[in-house]
Amino acid sequence: MPPVTLISSMRNWLLPENIEDILPPEAQRIEALRARLLELYRVHGYRLVMPPLLEYLESLLTGTGEDLDLRTFKFVDQLSGRMMGIRADITPQVARIDAHLLNQNGITRLCYCGSILHTQLRTQTATREPLQIGAEIFGHAGIESDLEIQSLLLKSLTICGVKDARLDIGHVAIFRSLCKGSGMPHTLEVDLYSALDAKDNPKLEILTKDLETNTRDALRQLPSLYGDRSILRDAEKVLPDYPEIRSALSDLDRLSRDPEFPVSIDLADLRGYNYHTGIVFSAYVPGQPNAVALGGRYDEVGEAFGRARPASGFSIDLREMARIGSVTMEQGAILAPCSDDENLSFVIEELRNNHEVVIRDLSGNGQLGDESGCDRELALLEGKWQVIMR
Amino acid sequence: MITIALSKGRIFEETLPLLAAAGITPLEDPETSRKLIIDTNRSDVRLIIVRASDTPTYVQYGAAELGITGKDTLLEHGGTGLYQPIDLGIASCRMMVAVKEGFDYANAVKQGARLRIATKYIQIAREHFAVKGVHVDLIKLYGSMELAPLVGLADAIVDLVSTGKTLQANNLRAVEEILPISARLIVNQAALKLKRAAVQPLLEAFSHAVANRV
Repeated sequence: MPPVTLISSMRNWLLPENIEDILPPEAQRIEALRARLLELYRVHGYRLVMPPLLEYLESLLTGTGEDLDLRTFKFVDQLSGRMMGIRADITPQVARIDAHLLNQNGITRLCYCGSILHTQLRTQTATREPLQIGAEIFGHAGIESDLEIQSLLLKSLTICGVKDARLDIGHVAIFRSLCKGSGMPHTLEVDLYSALDAKDNPKLEILTKDLETNTRDALRQLPSLYGDRSILRDAEKVLPDYPEIRSALSDLDRLSRDPEFPVSIDLADLRGYNYHTGIVFSAYVPGQPNAVALGGRYDEVGEAFGRARPASGFSIDLREMARIGSVTMEQGAILAPCSDDENLSFVIEELRNNHEVVIRDLSGNGQLGDESGCDRELALLEGKWQVIMR
Repeated sequence: MITIALSKGRIFEETLPLLAAAGITPLEDPETSRKLIIDTNRSDVRLIIVRASDTPTYVQYGAAELGITGKDTLLEHGGTGLYQPIDLGIASCRMMVAVKEGFDYANAVKQGARLRIATKYIQIAREHFAVKGVHVDLIKLYGSMELAPLVGLADAIVDLVSTGKTLQANNLRAVEEILPISARLIVNQAALKLKRAAVQPLLEAFSHAVANRV
């Protein structure tokens, strides 16, 4: 057996599970997408914020669900002795900024991009260190802000080169008003939620057997109310005529009219039920076993920070986007000789100012390193430095 | 292409009539063929033969759109990322607690007590005894659970009981039913969204076949 020190030095390169380096072509692609997306949000009036990587646990987890708590890395702050967490989602941070720091009365649009950390994977194909990018709109409760967010999400997917995406929309107010209307205990609501989330009809049947007929039938129908827009008409027939349900169905009708991407509706999709309050949407892409973008309305999160504000937004993992999108960044470089010629230096600077990649041939011996990506080179032709094909 | 993951043996045998109801006939028998991918009479449907405890994993990762798996396996797996819309009512049995003949179980599971439990079903056993308020030390075994109480490895076992003959032959007695078990149809969540046109008719055929059988 080799000495212990040898083993450990051999494994020094090992990274923790589901944590990875991002290497050249990939890193460039992610950075380019980040810049394009933030520019997209900027021209739509979304102002960039950069919340901290870590916060006291209370502020980080206030108003969010238990799943986020479990997913958050925690440690003790040696300065104050208080528990801190590394953000597992930037959305609540942005809600805190809107509610507490900016304190504007009108509509606020904010966007962000930053790394987050997860103790457990959100989905089995995810990384534990997603690069979360997203946009949020605060202070407007109507369908118009949901539409704006939805359209911004679809534009984002297009910029990322995602093809054949499908948007799946749900509305948590339907389930919520059914629960409220029947006055059921909270524990039953939680069980019903997990049954609906898994479309577990047999369990749903057992859980609802003692409820009054209207609620029971409505809850039992929810898992099968998914598909294209036509299910909204079925829903009108089988769901009780509560004002919340009527308005939810009309919201869904409006949001599913968008022609850019195919839209489907799933009334049992209650993802993020803990803090979402209205529309929820997820984007699916062929070949990906999980949703690639998530969003929705969460009007009550700000309340925990002193000010309840209507809020709607979405977020995507840029690293996943860069992986599944078809955006390519292949730009050939220009190889320049290593020489003291001042004219050459001038030409090189000109080219670089025009966004060309110019690489000095340090080795000069044709060994392929960084120079291998060069499809052109600078050559002295008739006394002038010119770019020619290699 | 729709891929259905299932295990050989009882699940496969009892799924055949349901597949037939959906107009699907496997072209080979996994008991005799060594192939793991089995084509069917329909060019757009194939079966993959996996180990029973792996079925939810294949479906969760989207390697198969649909799967047929016991509720026991599903509970152990956790079911994240899966829909489980239909109880197929096949491969039925019960998840039970069993002890050695003569062991005073009722007295041993008084609130606050501590028991040693041998089982393959760690999650189910943990949840069951937590609800009862009984502390348990769990010992994970992969088979022949009946042996554990006999040789003093554990006070009780948690295991699937179908006829009860194995228990009887080993001088064990089932003392408590945890839950009835049968096979579920599971669906990858993204597949239901993206391939609804192909998946939905299969779900309907299965659920009709199940309803008509009862």
